[in-house]
Amino acid sequence: MRQRLVRLGVLLLFVAVTGAAFAQSGSQLRFCLHSEPKTLNPVLMADESSETVRYLTGGVLMRLNRLTQQLEPELATSWKVSEEGKTISFKLRAGVHFSDGTAFSADDVAYTMQQLMDPALHSPTGDSFRSAEGKVITKVEAKDRVTVIFPAPVVGLDKLFDQVAIMSASSPKKEMAVLGPYYVAENKAGSYLLLKRNPNYWKHDAAGVQLPYINSVRLDIQQNRDVEMLRLVRGEIDFINAVDPEYFDKLAAQAPGTVTEAGVSLDSEQMWFNQVASSPLPAYKKAWFTSTNFRRAISNSINREDLARVVFRGHAQPAVSWVSPANKVWFNAKLQPHAFDQKAALQMLANDGFRLQNGVLRDREGHAVEFSIITNAGNKYRERMATMIQQDLAGIGIRLNVVTLDFPSLIERITRTFDYEASLLGLVNNDLDPNSQMNVWLSSAEQHQWNPEQKTPATTWEAEIDKLMRAQASTLDQKKRKQAVDRVQEIVWQQEPFIYLVNKNAMSAVSKNLRNAHPVVLRPQVYWNIDQLSLGSEVAQNR
Amino acid sequence: MKVARITALAFLVVVSAACLFADFVAPAPYARQFRDVPDAAPSHQHLLGTDSLGRDRFSRVLYGTRVSLLLAPAAALLASILAALIGGTAGFVGGWLERCVMAATDLFLSLPWLFLLITVRALLPLNTAPFTSVLITFALLGCLGWAAAARVICADARTFCQSDFILRARASGSGGFRLLWRHIVPNLKPVLYAQFWIAVPVFILAEANLGALGLGVAEPLPSWGSLLRELESFSPLSSQPWQFVPLVLLIAVVSCFHLAMKKQELSV
Amino acid sequence: MPELLMNAQPVLSLRLSASYPGRPAVLRDLALDVRPREILGLVGQSGCGKSTMALAILKLLFLKGGKMSGSIQFNGRDLLPLKEKEMRGLRGKEIALVSQSPISSLNPALRIRTQMEEAWNIHRRTTREECTRAVLGALESVSLPADETFLRQYPAQLSVGQAQRVLIAMAVLHRPPLLIADEPTSALDIIIQSEVLELFSSLSRKLGMSILYISHDLLSVAKISHRVAVMSQGEIVECRKTAELFTNPLHAYTRKLIAALPVAPAFSSGETLVYPEHATMIAGAELKTPNLTM
Repeated sequence: MRQRLVRLGVLLLFVAVTGAAFAQSGSQLRFCLHSEPKTLNPVLMADESSETVRYLTGGVLMRLNRLTQQLEPELATSWKVSEEGKTISFKLRAGVHFSDGTAFSADDVAYTMQQLMDPALHSPTGDSFRSAEGKVITKVEAKDRVTVIFPAPVVGLDKLFDQVAIMSASSPKKEMAVLGPYYVAENKAGSYLLLKRNPNYWKHDAAGVQLPYINSVRLDIQQNRDVEMLRLVRGEIDFINAVDPEYFDKLAAQAPGTVTEAGVSLDSEQMWFNQVASSPLPAYKKAWFTSTNFRRAISNSINREDLARVVFRGHAQPAVSWVSPANKVWFNAKLQPHAFDQKAALQMLANDGFRLQNGVLRDREGHAVEFSIITNAGNKYRERMATMIQQDLAGIGIRLNVVTLDFPSLIERITRTFDYEASLLGLVNNDLDPNSQMNVWLSSAEQHQWNPEQKTPATTWEAEIDKLMRAQASTLDQKKRKQAVDRVQEIVWQQEPFIYLVNKNAMSAVSKNLRNAHPVVLRPQVYWNIDQLSLGSEVAQNR
Repeated sequence: MKVARITALAFLVVVSAACLFADFVAPAPYARQFRDVPDAAPSHQHLLGTDSLGRDRFSRVLYGTRVSLLLAPAAALLASILAALIGGTAGFVGGWLERCVMAATDLFLSLPWLFLLITVRALLPLNTAPFTSVLITFALLGCLGWAAAARVICADARTFCQSDFILRARASGSGGFRLLWRHIVPNLKPVLYAQFWIAVPVFILAEANLGALGLGVAEPLPSWGSLLRELESFSPLSSQPWQFVPLVLLIAVVSCFHLAMKKQELSV
Repeated sequence: MPELLMNAQPVLSLRLSASYPGRPAVLRDLALDVRPREILGLVGQSGCGKSTMALAILKLLFLKGGKMSGSIQFNGRDLLPLKEKEMRGLRGKEIALVSQSPISSLNPALRIRTQMEEAWNIHRRTTREECTRAVLGALESVSLPADETFLRQYPAQLSVGQAQRVLIAMAVLHRPPLLIADEPTSALDIIIQSEVLELFSSLSRKLGMSILYISHDLLSVAKISHRVAVMSQGEIVECRKTAELFTNPLHAYTRKLIAALPVAPAFSSGETLVYPEHATMIAGAELKTPNLTM
């Protein structure tokens, strides 16, 4: 009896070992990076490819759950932000080891913060923590307790730690020693990166199996999106993180079931008029562009539904204001997109003295209304939007000239010479917290595109936005912040310094072999739950 | 041969007539957006389907052909004349002038035109009507396209200058510009024709590329260049062969011109 | 032989040195006189400087990079100090050249009519009709079909003999006092050669023009020339009446040339020179050119 039990045990062990070997020997996740990562040092990363590597290899104190948009504990089991928002204390997870075997402790957090805030390193991630001049102090209170004190309150402090990959203070391998699910095993410059599972990764699933399930990740560097798409169709890669509308439809036809639409994203497309007082525009045009009636009339004359339907093939939503509906917490649900209503538009224009004569709109002094809109050459979606807007505005007698410029000269015009009338651009948004857009909404800000770096607010509504944005930034009271941000959305909706056109949908393509993938709108759309992903068994055997 | 010539001529006549009377032939204005049927397949309403904004492709091809068929040869002519004058004079006069002109030509050829044209665009006013913008583009192409042809022509002119018949012409009292114009230029004709016919499709494509820099034809005016840009987004995964119509038309028109020309005019 | 003519002032009187940079002198103080209405033959080996001399007289030597000095007395006037522009007025009108290779000397891209009209229009401002008349007259004078079909042809469509005749027609278009024929028959076969030679001698008679007939072929020279000059290494070693030269060569080089001849030469020319006035009359009648007064 006893012997039989042992025998059974041996057999079971054998099955378990071979089974595990099966699962572990081959499974490899493959997808494409569109450029080579510029650095593998997590503190210095700023480009998309580097951030992908950081997401896959870096262990963070807490992680923003991309699905729920809530923070979840990771290496920190709990944390506390002080009342005034200057201090954050962490309690760290015990028994965690770096990929090279060194133990994780509060010293590593202190070291990471020191690196992050080192002025000599110019860390882009560190910049988001810099609210004021002064030193950042990190106090190691115990092996598992650490407190970071900032010289001034940092709004949304805790969420910023989602970007901070903890580095080892003592490991001789420095940034190559990681706490995330994978480590960089191979880096063939210009060709691919091979990541292998971190044998010391601390996370386990409910059944106690160590994560991640997939043994290795191969990141092929591939700039050409057509090739990327073909490779997905052929099954050579497992997913495409972000697919644009044209490819979405092509894939939907070619490989049904692979594409998923996660819903509206945080990214927006908008146009705006140049309201810079010192711009080289004629006075009558400045008068048009600074008139709220004029801007609202233009906004009402644009058929946003058509833009979303024709240009984006339905994979976009008419935009409301500067917070996308995708931002569950901060979106002001009371606002609706501006309706397409050219009658109302003409009425508003009439209030300003404009009149329609023989199909040409003229202002009070008789100037025919004609202006140009600049956008970056090569972006066909923007070119098409501009062409549709051109057609829409022709409906109220306005002649719009579409000018596509190369990106540097476009930037030159909108930031330095201000020699432009209207511009059409988009904003890629990665951050849920409205605080990340302070540099857009403060009238003194550089990114206050329509009239940047004002000494004093040019209009009362800009003054009000300044006040509200500062107010929301100086309190930690979520309710007060939400009220302020809602009001700013309302002002922007009324005044339309930016005429928001559409919010693009987030779309991904995922091979059927990839299990447990739940693409979301936030980056990284597909692999946000990388340690939960697994591959179909038939694929595991093939590879 | 004769049948081919007549066919080619007939084709050109039909194409030119259709373009000239595009206002009557075209089923829809070139800018009109049928927003309910973007990217439509050919139907009896839209003979060549619609583009990504729902504009009737057949109408756009007609108007685009009108723009390109008029302006590309005009620009090629300008470039050829410049090349003949500059290259011909340099090869004819020879000596230091030739060296200077050829050095200038080499410099001209080695300039990064893409970047210079971007600068040119930056200098142009933003509010230019679409047609003015096309006109400027082709004028620029014509003014810039002479260099490579001038090199060839200079070398040819030099060879002719040393030939017996030029010596004879000189011995009978000819000289200077008159010798160049009456005796050398007629001999350069075949080269000039060749350069001209190379330049026409090159300029059409160049206009398409400049469009990508924001220097070409402005929306909503169509041109062969902007129609060809549609093919940029052509992917093997989609199959819309009718998108190739502008390309086929371009090839057909250029080769028909070749066929329709007299043999003698193309080669002596 | 009319002494009167032999003593008349020469049409062309040369005293020339010429050289190309970096090489020994090609013409060394070469002295030569061409008298009115005479055909002067110039013989010498290839490379002795005959063609250089032809170009030098027209002051076209600069085209080959050559330099020259001395004097070119043409009808009593020195050409050497003349400017290029003045020379252009002389070339083709006063001094014409018929060169070696007939086909390549015609512009391949132009019809015969265009080329001839151009040769006419360079020097004359006339109506189209006058121009056409002159061209047709010149063609007739060289026994070419003076019709539209011929004029419409391109040089490539002509035979070598026809091409040479066209060149001669173009050369005599303006009835120049002096015609330089540089190896005009070397590219032609025997029969056409003799026809062309005959043409030269009849044209000289008809138009009263002097011909400097340059050739390496002593026989053909002997056939038409009144006098023969023998050139060797850039110098004229002997210049005498044709018959005298052949019967009593003085210079060793001349003797060598004559000794190398397969047959004895036949002299034909000389006597015609007695009637120059008559010849001019015929020419004037035949050519019907409007420039008789010039």
